[in-house]
Amino acid sequence: MIGNDIIDLSLAKIESNWQRKGFLEKQFTANEQQLILAAPNSFELVWRFWSMKEAAYKVYAQQNTIRFFAPKKFDCLLMSETKGLVFFKDQIFYTSSNMNQNYIFTLAGLEKQTKAYSKFVMPQVIDMMIKIKLEDKTGFSTIEIEQKKSKNGAPLYYYEDILLTRSCSISHHGNYGVFSLLYA
Amino acid sequence: MTRKELITSLQKIVKPYVQNQEAFKNLTEETDFINDLKINSANLVDVILDVEDEFGIEIDNESMEKMLSVKSAMDIIETKLADS
Repeated sequence: MIGNDIIDLSLAKIESNWQRKGFLEKQFTANEQQLILAAPNSFELVWRFWSMKEAAYKVYAQQNTIRFFAPKKFDCLLMSETKGLVFFKDQIFYTSSNMNQNYIFTLAGLEKQTKAYSKFVMPQVIDMMIKIKLEDKTGFSTIEIEQKKSKNGAPLYYYEDILLTRSCSISHHGNYGVFSLLYA
Repeated sequence: MTRKELITSLQKIVKPYVQNQEAFKNLTEETDFINDLKINSANLVDVILDVEDEFGIEIDNESMEKMLSVKSAMDIIETKLADS
């Protein structure tokens, strides 16, 4: 299982004010809050942690049918510039984040080394780009490949009754779109 | 506060974060913040903070977990107002 999240940083700056009273306290653990406030670039760390939590939640949501909003319970640990761990209940999610001045992209999985394929695409064409990728991979034609939502709202791709993606995660924000796939 | 007054003030609160105006126009108690109104999940906390400010209540973590729809938000606000 995989989950991803992308944040358009210029949009995040407009849409959210991380310095708003209560914003950090409601969503980040005491440890995360300390790290954010001590960081040279607090803004960037807010959104790196947020994308780790969101990506991990999207993995969890594929295994469980219940939806909820509990970002504070997804406890983040930074391992390196890009790698991280997220703890939730008795599970560990392994995360990998790519950051630059424009965006933060995080991919979360249940295994240390995920074999997921991720691709950045225009937000408006994500579904079509996934189908094109699956056509390349499986030989089934894009027009015959269909997206079906699972019970918990996660996207899965099928050719008739044949499942083509073991796990699929889609994220878009502002100018950026991305999909991540594990082939069936 | 009646149910109608409550939904009206909640409507005002979520308005700035809504990305699907069509769903907003047809808002009912069954409307989902993320799936229907397409509110960015990073803005859900703003909705919660705005609700706290508007009604002078505190939304604890347990209640916050459930605040994904108009109905659950209204139920939580009513319970908190009754307790205060």
